[in-house]
Amino acid sequence: MSEHAGDNGNGFEPKIVAYVCNWCTYLGADLAGTNRLAYPPNVRIIRLPCTGRIDFNLIIKAFEMKADAVLVSGCHPGDCHYTAGNYHARRRWMLFRELLETMGIDMNRIHFTWISAAEGRKFQQIITEITEKTRQMGPYMDYRKVCEAS
Amino acid sequence: MIQDELRQLCRRLLEDGTVQVVIGYGQSSDDGPTYPVFVTDAADVDRLVWNDQCFANLTTYLKRKEVKALGKPAIIVKGCDERALAVLEKESQIDRTQMVVIGVACEGVGQPREPKCAACDVHMPRFSDHVLGQAANTPVEADRRYADLEAFMKRSPAERMAYWMNELSRCFKCYACRATCPMCYCERCIVDKNRPQAIDTSPTLKGNFAWHIARAFHLAGRCVGCDECTRVCPAGIDLRLLNMSLAKAAEDEFGYRAGVDREAEPIIGSYSLKDKESFIR
Amino acid sequence: MSEIISKEDLLRLVDQWIGQGKRTAGPTRIKSDVVLYAPIRSSSDVQLDGFIRPRNSIKEFIFPRHEKLYGYKVEGRKIQLFDAEPAVGEQLIIAARPCDAAAFPILDHVFNWDYKDEFYNRRRQATTIVTLACKEYDRNCFCTSVGLGPAAESGSDAMLLDLGDGSYEVRCLTEKGKALFAGKTGTSDKTGTVPPGPKKIFTKESIDAFFAGGYDNPEWQQMTLRCLGCGACAYTCPTCHCFDIVDEGNAAGGARVKNWDACQFCMFTAHASGHNPRTNQGQRQRQRIYHKFEIYPTKFGEILCTGCGNCTRNCPVELGVRPVLETIETLSVAGGTKA
Repeated sequence: MSEHAGDNGNGFEPKIVAYVCNWCTYLGADLAGTNRLAYPPNVRIIRLPCTGRIDFNLIIKAFEMKADAVLVSGCHPGDCHYTAGNYHARRRWMLFRELLETMGIDMNRIHFTWISAAEGRKFQQIITEITEKTRQMGPYMDYRKVCEAS
Repeated sequence: MIQDELRQLCRRLLEDGTVQVVIGYGQSSDDGPTYPVFVTDAADVDRLVWNDQCFANLTTYLKRKEVKALGKPAIIVKGCDERALAVLEKESQIDRTQMVVIGVACEGVGQPREPKCAACDVHMPRFSDHVLGQAANTPVEADRRYADLEAFMKRSPAERMAYWMNELSRCFKCYACRATCPMCYCERCIVDKNRPQAIDTSPTLKGNFAWHIARAFHLAGRCVGCDECTRVCPAGIDLRLLNMSLAKAAEDEFGYRAGVDREAEPIIGSYSLKDKESFIR
Repeated sequence: MSEIISKEDLLRLVDQWIGQGKRTAGPTRIKSDVVLYAPIRSSSDVQLDGFIRPRNSIKEFIFPRHEKLYGYKVEGRKIQLFDAEPAVGEQLIIAARPCDAAAFPILDHVFNWDYKDEFYNRRRQATTIVTLACKEYDRNCFCTSVGLGPAAESGSDAMLLDLGDGSYEVRCLTEKGKALFAGKTGTSDKTGTVPPGPKKIFTKESIDAFFAGGYDNPEWQQMTLRCLGCGACAYTCPTCHCFDIVDEGNAAGGARVKNWDACQFCMFTAHASGHNPRTNQGQRQRQRIYHKFEIYPTKFGEILCTGCGNCTRNCPVELGVRPVLETIETLSVAGGTKA
């Protein structure tokens, strides 16, 4: 991952990876853009058709690629473009969080949200909050140590 | 004695052609270890044994094509192994009408007893076609089932991470855990897929974390806790802790335990409108 | 007259070697029933007795489970290559079993055959192996059947023999071994006694006879039915040396790495075309036995096995080389190969 343009080297700039669904959160992010709602550029948005497509493996990959926090976001229950994708995702997340806790992975660095296409402001708020919080916490060194161990 | 009854039963099943092969336990000497045997001739049933060294979960052989080629099997199961049959059936991997299941009452395996045996509530098989021996299925409190996990979770996240960084550094990707598990029946495992390579094949800490997280999660709601993966790991990694964390989540959230109720809906692949979402903003 | 060293002096010497910066490894007790060779940071980590042999072998210190061959970085249309890991410094393995050390003279052939493997040779030259002769063995040991024994010296730079009184006889077998122990030993007229070792479980004649006509023998399928196709045997074997080369990384860069591989995996011989010449476990097991006991000896004059028994000990279902050879011996003696 390349350093983001705003890093002037004076402080740590967290890398946030956001896996978002195409029909809700991605459009919500787009709405934030068209409404000129500024949010930190630390987030790298990865668009998927649906949260139901999100493999737990992608969350781990984000940490392997030196992400400091991961956001997973999709349509509100009942609003899934594919009817039930987010229900499946929700169930998976419920279980996957337990595994991550057992591994000792920092659960403060993984966030789940429902953000609809109309919630541009919510997207702005969530990204701002996550970026700030992650900046306070510092880089996620644990997983880097895992990746660097030979 | 159970062993004698077992041999008589298997002799009968082979002689009258009900089955073509018995998948059971053999032992080359009284004080030696047991190992899986495949008896196809009624004259050989004395190769079959039953004792507290019968560790293997034989249901894993139902997926092996070399075994399937032998014909209709009779398979010997302990209560814990029988749970695996219930899961395989629910996942359409086996046809119960095409096999004879011989359940054997079990008071526990290993000397000293395996950790799983202390919290076992399936000493007496429940869905087998034949049952040998007698045992009681006393219900066990959930916290006894997950006592080791709960003790582990008292450590801080940093301590847990340090623990796994140490434990998993010993893994050299032999995949004995995968090979021995009845639920790992994918024709092509996710770690063997390379377009793209989702899980590093290297036995580095990164590759080992990715593998064990993947395997544990792919067993969510499916692992029956036979603990064979833990027993067979050459590096002595405590894999049961990982599997237990998902089994506990399944029980806590959904009251679900893999392979206990044959009619229960598997938890992955289904959903409920009432699923918890307190962690979702 | 023999050279001897007390246990205390030996452990002190180990600490000295560690202090000198030698990367030291030896048997360590990971859990109550798990002993593994692993790097040690002090002599108190070393287990000198109380077990038959570690579950793994020492090959990983000379033939690592994972090794970077070179790195690459892509910048626009330019590709930069980076050398592999720097040459390893001196390494020392203490209290290895003779069946572990004997693997290296055997492996030297294949790693210096049509290609001189600099990764292997570099580590081999930088490593000194001090073995500890065996006082006991279990049902899985069969070193005597492959021409070795509890005090076999092949591959050892120095061998320790437990004298039973808190001291060890030290036999320095090579210059490296002599350099390690020079001036650190006393003299004695006691010498270590070594048990005769396990009874032989097969003879070369019997198994050669079986191989000669037995390639298509249906027994290969029968006796290997319980194999689940994992790599526990190959990875804990002192002499198995197959590896897989893969690229790890992404569009921006990565590395070409070498990892252990095992012939028992179902995809081991899968071709890019989709064809797989070994599609069932009987074929794969047959190949393993032929490779170790027929092909390698024909090519290099040595059996690719030291009789350590790790394969069977670590096998989830008690297979491994020994049960197969025992069956072959029985079949061969009973009446030759079946048509």
